[in-house]
Formats: sequence, structure tokens, C-alpha cells
Amino acid sequence: MAFDSNNPTAMTGSPAGVAGAETIPSFGNSFGRDLLGRILPPVLAVTSVIAIWWSLYLIYPRLLPSPMNTVNEAIRLLSDGTFLFHMYQSLRRVFVGSVVAMFFSVGVGIYMGTVLMGERFFQPLVVLGLTIPGLMWALIAVMLFGINEWSPYFAVTVTIFPMLVINIWAGVKSLDKDLMDMSHVFHFSKWMKITQVILPQLVPNIFAATRYGLGLAWKVVVVVEMFGTSNGVGYQVMKSYQVFNMEGVIAWTLTFVVAMIVIEYGMINLAERRLTAWRPKIDVWRR
Amino acid sequence: MAELVVENVEKWFRREDGQPFKVIDRLSFHARAGSVTVLIGPSGCGKSTLLNSIVGLERLDRGELKFVNGGHPRQRPLIGYVFQSPRLLPWKTIGDNIRLALKGAAVAEAEREQRVRNYLELVGLGEYINQFPLYLSGGQRQRVGLARALAIESDLVLMDEPFASVDELTARQLRQTTRRLCEQLHRTVLFVTHNLAEAAYMSDFVVTLTRRPATLDAYVANPLPTPRQWGPEIYGFAAELETKVTLKEETES
Repeated sequence: MAFDSNNPTAMTGSPAGVAGAETIPSFGNSFGRDLLGRILPPVLAVTSVIAIWWSLYLIYPRLLPSPMNTVNEAIRLLSDGTFLFHMYQSLRRVFVGSVVAMFFSVGVGIYMGTVLMGERFFQPLVVLGLTIPGLMWALIAVMLFGINEWSPYFAVTVTIFPMLVINIWAGVKSLDKDLMDMSHVFHFSKWMKITQVILPQLVPNIFAATRYGLGLAWKVVVVVEMFGTSNGVGYQVMKSYQVFNMEGVIAWTLTFVVAMIVIEYGMINLAERRLTAWRPKIDVWRR
Repeated sequence: MAELVVENVEKWFRREDGQPFKVIDRLSFHARAGSVTVLIGPSGCGKSTLLNSIVGLERLDRGELKFVNGGHPRQRPLIGYVFQSPRLLPWKTIGDNIRLALKGAAVAEAEREQRVRNYLELVGLGEYINQFPLYLSGGQRQRVGLARALAIESDLVLMDEPFASVDELTARQLRQTTRRLCEQLHRTVLFVTHNLAEAAYMSDFVVTLTRRPATLDAYVANPLPTPRQWGPEIYGFAAELETKVTLKEETES
């Protein structure tokens, strides 16, 4: 039989509809498929990590704590309010440091990408900043500011700042020239150019930088808290380490990881989806 | 309505080896107020460079551009531009794209909404006001570009091969819409094209340019009646234009 791709009845074999009646094609249970596609891969990833941990525990029971005991310890931390208090302290430090770094890095990144003198001035400083490890900044911060809140704020800001700048600078360099010309032709003010033309193009760079920056900020905060504060997740990990409480160390780390996942999926992903709603979905591997 | 006077304009560029070369050579013509002047000439002769110079994206080396009776006394004249590709901000809705151009043109906020709706209706896209550009077809996006250029109600509207990137049937519809709006709104339009039939249909006057360095070849008034209809007489005038351009090129070679 000749195949007529323009005739739906030729493909399905169903009888032709009544003249004038509209046949709505079936799209299948896409909601269930989407949900499965979204949940299954991360669940598989977490399950495989737990499986590896359990196997290692069975081989080296003295070295590693059992996953069950660790989960129990984590539940205890969550239920008695300890976790919430210390996590709040750490979150605040990460958040303040990251926001300050993001604010300055967007300004400096745009300046570097649009003004040659700015690029020449900041480039060596940014490269220098990238080579200094977070641990060094943590030490310097505690020595400079002592045991108070300024230490983690300073350490987080200066550690992630160069990395954020690099991302935003790269984004500015690949701005769409046609759109910039259009904004000039239609007399956009400088503020309109930045907020309506430049920043929206930098959204992917800003999100990439935020994700990487937050990961780095957590690491720095934990280090500062270990020897520069009297609360926070890092301080609690250090306390557990000093009494060789392996379950405590891993329980604190785990709860910390859960908080990170909540931030990633609950905040960053949602914000990204909202800010890129204008873009039609692209199926790269469509067959 | 403003008249654009291009007077002894000269533009030079530099090759990669540093050698200067002339793109436009003592070019003079004028785009009459309230009419469509079509600029035609060989590829790479400097038509787009001239348009970019008019809007301030390029700087001229010699000569002058004058706006006679310009209604917007400002440092840089207000000029609408329909680009070859629509150049819409994809993260802004169709309505917001036009609103931003109106804000740039310092149109009062109270008037913006009315203009956005009015010009989108004129190009037949009134119902798409809250749609994002990437969800529209190429022809529809180009209509939005046209609405944006007209909505600012500028002294002059430039169109740089605005229908070159859409298929012929869509281009024909767009030409009809654009020509109808030009006649209806009496805007001064400078229109660049390669397509001689398009030049014959769109123009009130045709300026033909020589090969690079571009200079004035001929200035022809379009004898066809308005409102313009697409028919055999368009192709007749296009053939006449072709003879002029071809003859000149043969003489040069």
C-alpha cells in the first residue's frame, strides 16, 4: 500500500472521520512519562552511592559506619533542632558571601567584557585570585578578622569572586552584536541595555556560576567554621571528628548534602526554568 | 515628515593588511519626505554601510547627512530600522519588544500601550501581543520588526533587505503590508534591496548605485500608480531597472 504521510487514516488505519468533525490526536500519558524521566535518574544515582557505601561497610565494618546507624544519627540531629540551628548559621554565611560576590562579579564581568581598559586592569587580578586556594583565604580571613562573622563572609566572597567574574566575562564576550546594535538604533539608555539586553543574555552564565560558586562557598564556609566560629555545620563536623565519632561526621555531611540538593532543585532549578520560559524546549537527540 | 539629504558622503575601510579602501565615494542623493526611496546596487557596494552610518553604527569619513524638517530635535535623530533579521529580544514578549523601543524613543508611558496595540493591529498581529518571538514564524517576527520601526513614529524609517530571509510567498504578503502602511502613514522610508521586482513594487523613487566604491548611478522616479498592485507592470518596470544596472556594469567592465 502506498504510504501517504499527509493522510492520518493511512497511518492509523482508522476510518475517516465525519466531515466537519475535528479529530484531536492523542499525545499519550506524557505527564507520567515526564515524572518518571525526571525522578528515576537521580534516585538511581543516590541508590548506587548507598549501595557502594553498604558494600564497603560490609567489607570494612571497623572503618566505616553502617548506613543505617548514620541515617539514625541524622534523624536525631534533625528531630532535636540541632541541625536546623547550625545549618541556618552556615546557610547565612554562604548566602551573604555569595550575594556580595555575585553583585560585584556581575559589575566587574560586564565592565571587563565591554571596556578594554577594564579587561586589561582586572584580568591579571582575576587570574591571580583563581590561583589562591579557598583554604588560604579561610586562614587569612580568621587571622585578619578573628573569630567572628566577618571571617566567613570575607573568605566566601574573595574565594568565589574570581570564578564568578570569569564566567560572566566570558558571557559578555559572546553577547549578540546584532541585538546590541538594535538597542543602540532604538536609543536604549545604558540602564536599559544592561537590564534588558545584556543581563538576560548572561542568565546561563550566571546560573552556571551560581551553581559552581555555591559548591565552592560551602567548602570554604565549612573550613572557616572548623577553626574560626563556634557554631555551624563545619564546627559540628570538627566536634564529631575530635571525639572520633564517624557516624556524626558522615551524618552532618549527609544533612549538608540534602540541604544542597534542596537548594539546587527547589530554588536554582525553579528560578532558571522561570527565567528561560521564553525558550522553546529543544530535543537534541530526537529521532 | 523629514527629508534625508545625503551629501558627498565618503566611507573608507581598512583591509587586514592595513591598506585602506574606499567603499562609498562622494555619494549624494535625497530621500523625499513621505515617500519610499529604494536603494539598489551590486552586492557589497556599501548599501548596508550607508544605512549603518545613517543610524550611527558606523562613522562617515567625509560628507554630511541632513534631516530637513526633522520633528525630533535631539543629538541623534530618531530613526526606525527594519533589519534583515528581525532582531527581537527573545526573552521579551512581542508587546514588550515594541514597548522598549517606545521607551527608548521617550514616548510618554500613557501613550505606549495604545501605540503597541495600534501598530500590532496594523501588521495583523494584535492577538500575539503576549507571545514570545521564538514561538512565531519568520514572517510574523519580521512583521513585529516592522511594527516596532513604525511605532516610534520617527523622522525616517530604514529597511535593510527586510524580506530577504523569508520565503517568496511570505515576502509578497509582507511587501503588500509594508507598501500599504507606507502609503497610509506617509513615512519617509529608505529601503535597500537586491530584488528588482521588489524595488519596482515598493518604490516611489529608485536610487541605483555603482559597484564599489559606490556612487550615484541613476535616480529614477517610479511611474507606476498608487495604491500599488502586484501585476505585469511591476515586472515591466523591474526589467527597465535591470537594463539600467546591467548596461552600467557592462560599460564599466
